[in-house]
Amino acid sequence: MSALVSDVGTRTAVAAANLVKVYGKGDTAVRALDGVSVEFAAGRFTAIMGPSGSGKSTLMHCLAGLDNVDGGSVNIGGTEITSLGDKELTRLRRDRVGFVFQAFNLLPTLTAEANILLGLELAGRKPDREWFDTIVDVLGLRDRLKHKPTELSGGQQQRVACARALVARPDVVFADEPTGNLDSRSGAEVLDFLRMSVRKLGQTVIMVTHDPVAASYADRVVLMADGHLAGEIDNPTADSVLSALKHLGA
Amino acid sequence: MLRTIIAGLKARTARLVLSSVAIALGVAFVTGTLVLGDAMTASLRDEFAKGARNVDVSVTVSGESSSPDEIPGITPETLAKIRQAPGVAAADPRDFQTVPLVAANGKAKSAWAVPLASNEKLNEFDLVDGRYPTKDDEIAVDKRTASTSKLTIGQPVVLLGEGDQRHTYTLVGTYQQGTNQVSLSGYDHVGLTAAAFQALEPERPPYQVVATAAAGFTQQQVVDNVRKAIGDSGFKIQSGEELTRETLERVEQQSGEFTTVLLAFAIIALVVAAMVIYNTFTILVAQRTRELALMRCVGASRAQVFRGVLAEALVMGLAASVIGLFGGIGVSALLQRVIFSFGEGGGTVLLPVTATTVAASFAVGTLVTVLAAVLPARKATRVAPVAALRSQPDSGEEVSRTSVVRVLTAVLFGVIGVGGIVFGMGIEDEDAAMFVSGAGTMALLAAVLVLGPLLVGPVNRVLGALPRAVLGVPAKLASANAGRNPKRTAATTAALMIGVTIVSLVTVVANSAKETANAEIDQRMPADYTVTSAVYGRPLPKELAEQLADVPEVDRVAPTTVVYGEREYFTGVPRDAIGTLFRPTVTSGSLDDLGDGTVAVNAQYAKRQGVAVGQVVTVKPGQGQAQELKVVAIVEGQRLSDGIMTMETSSRFPQAAEGYESILVKLKDGVANGRAAVEKVTDPSPLAVVDSAAETKEQLNQQLNQVLGFIWALIGLAVVIALFGIANTLTLSVLERTRESALLRALGLTKGQLRLMLVVESVLMALMGAAIGLLLGIGFGWVITEALSNDTISVDLVVPFGQIGVMLAGAVVAAILAAALPARRAARTSVVAGMAEA
Ligand SMILES: Nc1ncnc2c1ncn2[C@@H]1O[C@H](COP(=O)(O)OP(=O)(O)O)[C@@H](O)[C@H]1O
Ligand SMILES: [Mg+2]
Repeated sequence: MSALVSDVGTRTAVAAANLVKVYGKGDTAVRALDGVSVEFAAGRFTAIMGPSGSGKSTLMHCLAGLDNVDGGSVNIGGTEITSLGDKELTRLRRDRVGFVFQAFNLLPTLTAEANILLGLELAGRKPDREWFDTIVDVLGLRDRLKHKPTELSGGQQQRVACARALVARPDVVFADEPTGNLDSRSGAEVLDFLRMSVRKLGQTVIMVTHDPVAASYADRVVLMADGHLAGEIDNPTADSVLSALKHLGA
Repeated sequence: MLRTIIAGLKARTARLVLSSVAIALGVAFVTGTLVLGDAMTASLRDEFAKGARNVDVSVTVSGESSSPDEIPGITPETLAKIRQAPGVAAADPRDFQTVPLVAANGKAKSAWAVPLASNEKLNEFDLVDGRYPTKDDEIAVDKRTASTSKLTIGQPVVLLGEGDQRHTYTLVGTYQQGTNQVSLSGYDHVGLTAAAFQALEPERPPYQVVATAAAGFTQQQVVDNVRKAIGDSGFKIQSGEELTRETLERVEQQSGEFTTVLLAFAIIALVVAAMVIYNTFTILVAQRTRELALMRCVGASRAQVFRGVLAEALVMGLAASVIGLFGGIGVSALLQRVIFSFGEGGGTVLLPVTATTVAASFAVGTLVTVLAAVLPARKATRVAPVAALRSQPDSGEEVSRTSVVRVLTAVLFGVIGVGGIVFGMGIEDEDAAMFVSGAGTMALLAAVLVLGPLLVGPVNRVLGALPRAVLGVPAKLASANAGRNPKRTAATTAALMIGVTIVSLVTVVANSAKETANAEIDQRMPADYTVTSAVYGRPLPKELAEQLADVPEVDRVAPTTVVYGEREYFTGVPRDAIGTLFRPTVTSGSLDDLGDGTVAVNAQYAKRQGVAVGQVVTVKPGQGQAQELKVVAIVEGQRLSDGIMTMETSSRFPQAAEGYESILVKLKDGVANGRAAVEKVTDPSPLAVVDSAAETKEQLNQQLNQVLGFIWALIGLAVVIALFGIANTLTLSVLERTRESALLRALGLTKGQLRLMLVVESVLMALMGAAIGLLLGIGFGWVITEALSNDTISVDLVVPFGQIGVMLAGAVVAAILAAALPARRAARTSVVAGMAEA
């Protein structure tokens, strides 16, 4: 584990250069990303913050290879992904990227355990049982493994999603408002786990949020406004994020 | 509210189109079947009514003739009296006799000969080419006869009169018969002048005379005048109207069977269509549960929401029903063309649209749609709006809640079904047995349909095992999807299940009947070739047997004769053929004792008549003296007749003495071209026809296949609609699961795997319906064959694995096609767009 932690902050996990993403055409065109250049260090927990509509989700989708870009480049773990086709992108996602979405993270037809292992199965990889057990125990999901998603609370569902994102040991985990639908206690549990996975397990996490409290769990906050980068905060607290946001609004 | 409805309709175009197509197809199927049935009946009526065309008075012999020796009929004197009655413009006899017609190849075939009317108006036929005969050496034949016997106008035509005397005529015209028992029987048909017709069999008086009225006389006046002229006794005198009515009543009876069959198809159509529509709409409304809840949250009352759904369903149901109605009329026209193409006759496409048809179509299209929309909408508005809002977009419902009622209903149907089957199998009369057992099987089908949702789980696990093992994750997901909503899957596959059940049932029964008939042919034709007479009632000349025996390729011959009694008919065979060409199984007595004045009877006959070995049966032939024959043996496994006797014994009966019923020919071993050798002898005889068991089977099989083809075509339509139902469900499910598909894609499922997943899901659903349907169909087929079997015939179950394989393969291919569009759609949606979908 120490080997994993050793290159914290030195290696770049994900990098974007001059990203441009335009929705629509002509008069109604929206430049959701307007020349964004940003780097995310490996083994760090980064939050992307900004007001609603500032382009956070769009940035995440482009970084994760879920959406194509109109300009610039994205690099994940040394692979330039903007030139990749659908097949390669799919393989990249399945092998090197983990996701936690705001809602509908799980397939209703599968049990929690099957949901956690789905990504690995798709990749045709054997799960590392020890690793699986560690994650399940840390997330307190042991007695929920045989349950279907509808039998789980919202917090439990998000924790299953986190487990799925981590079980494949991806290069990077993207989380888009992972606590957006949760009450503060369940939200705190999920955020604690994400932070723990970075600190103790050396995972790289990039999380989109508009909640200053959620952002304060991160090592670093990247601020966005109107499709541009609008500053960053290292070792944020809820108060420092809030005041930075107020500056943006002003 | 209206604005919300219209906005709703606009926003969900794709879903609306799908469900409208489901409704329209269902309605089209129902309309098509009903219109086809009415068209068939109408054309039958038209055709049958030709017999009563232009007839104002009809005189028939009423059966009780004055003296028993006299052949009942209308004498020339009576005809003259009718013709002279005041107001009779023309009167002509109606009659028929079967006469051998010698075709271009020199072979005789049975033909119906009729006298043509002196007044053309009174003919039952429509002239096609040339003209009607005016001289006694002229002849006209019907269109089909001309083409099958290769006769052209101007050529000579030969009929064989009494004593095989050749009568030669010149063909002057062809005509088209109306539809009646004769034209439906497929017999050849020829028309002669009245005098020429009489000349064929002089002592034969006609059974009916028809007349037209002169101008200025009413039908009733002429009827009265004729009655005055010939008296009442021994005659039935009818007006033209009465004759028409009587004819049509007979048509109703005749076409009744056919209408029943079509009605059965229409009911199947109705059920299948209703199921597809109901299912589609249920999914549609279930998907809108959240939307309805949202409307409730913003202040719409439960009644308003409910009315909205109702109005929408009504509009859509009506619109789609109209489209379906016209589509159905088209389907019917198409089916009629298909039917016409089977026969050589051709025909006109009729499209009668009755009130019943329209009512049934709208009932299916509109009522079912409204019900299918309102029931789930009621459920959706009953829960608290917020709860509905929170619910998953997946319209899954638990089955367990209703399963007690479900199981009880299924048990009830099951008990009725099994009861009907067991009771039906015990009935001796095969028609009644088939009806009762058939009803029982349908009750069982209903039981399985009711149980459907509970069966989905286990069946899906079994069927999904192979794809899961072979195709990996996508198949695993597909199997989970197919089983996620058992009610929906059951409803989707039910339509296909019904179709496949009926098709396999019919196929199994038809094939079993075919095999049974083939076995019977083997029994009847123990020899290589059987020479029979082409013309009913004209036995083969005896010299033919001797000539055949002299052919070097022939090992042995065995002629047979036939003896008809009042309740039985026996076969006469040469003593030395018993044990060689005839090998019946003896159950009691001994065939060694079969000599002059004795008979060996079949077990069924013995049982029926209550006779045993040693007793005497009395055989009273139509002509000649009754004979007492001693029963020396009871035999089984010969299906020729009720029993066998020696040739000598049979010659005590005059009818058997005239000639041979058939001549069995056994070739020497290793003879290559036996048929040519046999035909060298039989060719000069116009009556002799050479059959081999193989060829007879072939002929029979062709006929059965044609009937089977027609049924496959009709039910095929239901299957198409059922498959469309699968496509529909799948498309709606794909729409419903857009987020899920996007999630899977984000997690690393490739586009190809996503498509594969949907294809496997479709195939699994199709296979569920097809597999259960096949099991039921084959099981029911066994029930029906058992019900058909009795002491006289035993129908063995034959499962045509080839055809069933074709059916399964067809279902799989169709399911793949059904999945094509939804799969494309699912794969095309981008991950981000999919995730954004509410
Ligand atoms: N599919 C889309 N089509 C058109 N415009 C879009 C689409 N997705 C996002 N946008 C626009 O792009 C901008 C950024 O959106 P998004 O990245 O979702 O913001 P955030 O996640 O920060 O709230 C917004 O102005 C939004 O309206
Ligand atoms: Mg967002």
